[in-house]
Amino acid sequence: MPEAIEIQLKKGALELCVLALLSQHDSYAYEIASQLSDSIGMGEGTIYPLMRRLQADGLVETYLEESPSGPPRKYYKLSAAGRRSFTSQQAAWASFSGAVNHILGGAK
Amino acid sequence: MTRQAFLARLRDGLRGLSPQTIDELVADYETHFADGAAAGRTEAEVAQALGDPDRLAREIRAESSLSRWRDERSPSAAGAAVFAVLGLGALDILVLLPILMGIAGALIGLIVAVIVCFFAGAVVFAAGPFMDPPGGPLTAVLGGLGLMAGSASGGALLTIVSIGLMNALVWYGRLHYRLLKPALQS
Repeated sequence: MPEAIEIQLKKGALELCVLALLSQHDSYAYEIASQLSDSIGMGEGTIYPLMRRLQADGLVETYLEESPSGPPRKYYKLSAAGRRSFTSQQAAWASFSGAVNHILGGAK
Repeated sequence: MTRQAFLARLRDGLRGLSPQTIDELVADYETHFADGAAAGRTEAEVAQALGDPDRLAREIRAESSLSRWRDERSPSAAGAAVFAVLGLGALDILVLLPILMGIAGALIGLIVAVIVCFFAGAVVFAAGPFMDPPGGPLTAVLGGLGLMAGSASGGALLTIVSIGLMNALVWYGRLHYRLLKPALQS
């Protein structure tokens, strides 16, 4: 089932992607969700449980900011722990994907 | 699906969580619809992109039961976690269920045996000096003590095994999230 494998791969990478986006700039859930669903095709509904978990784990913090339209918006930013977690996950991902690519390249 | 239908089904599916959590979650998704509308998408498009609200609610509820088991090793937390995994409706639960019931039955049998052993030990220990057991009262007292100690350590072992089995089940359940990220690393 290549489809099931693809879903599992994407779900595994989702947290890393969210941390990566937040490491570039603070953002709100809708923006994160639409960026991720555009580029890796994840269902947008998954972002809220994930953000709650990241917040419970102390990796992200929230603050409210006035929005040009409507009520104030909940922004997420990386905490110090979140930044550390991102750096280590990024390194793990780079070495893992490098190894997989190397093997895939050899299998041609 | 309209915004209202999506939110109503989500709220309905989340029943059982604390009212505050439900309100927060529903408010999050409500904001999502508002942001979607501001970006020029219709309610139906946003609902489509969010996914099935029933499935979403089931997985959020399952995750909350499974985390409760992580924080609180109590029989009621274990029961809730088992039902949460069953509620995820994984197809292979049909295979898992008989095995699970067999294991649960065996565990309960062993627990009863351990408790009976413990009390039998207590009776031998207490009655030893007053009766005239074969081998003398001292043998009976020591034998009773031995039985109680043995069954206590048996009980401790059983507890460790049960917790290990529950953790395996939690891990298995999380593999069946279709929407949430599976917590494989925890």
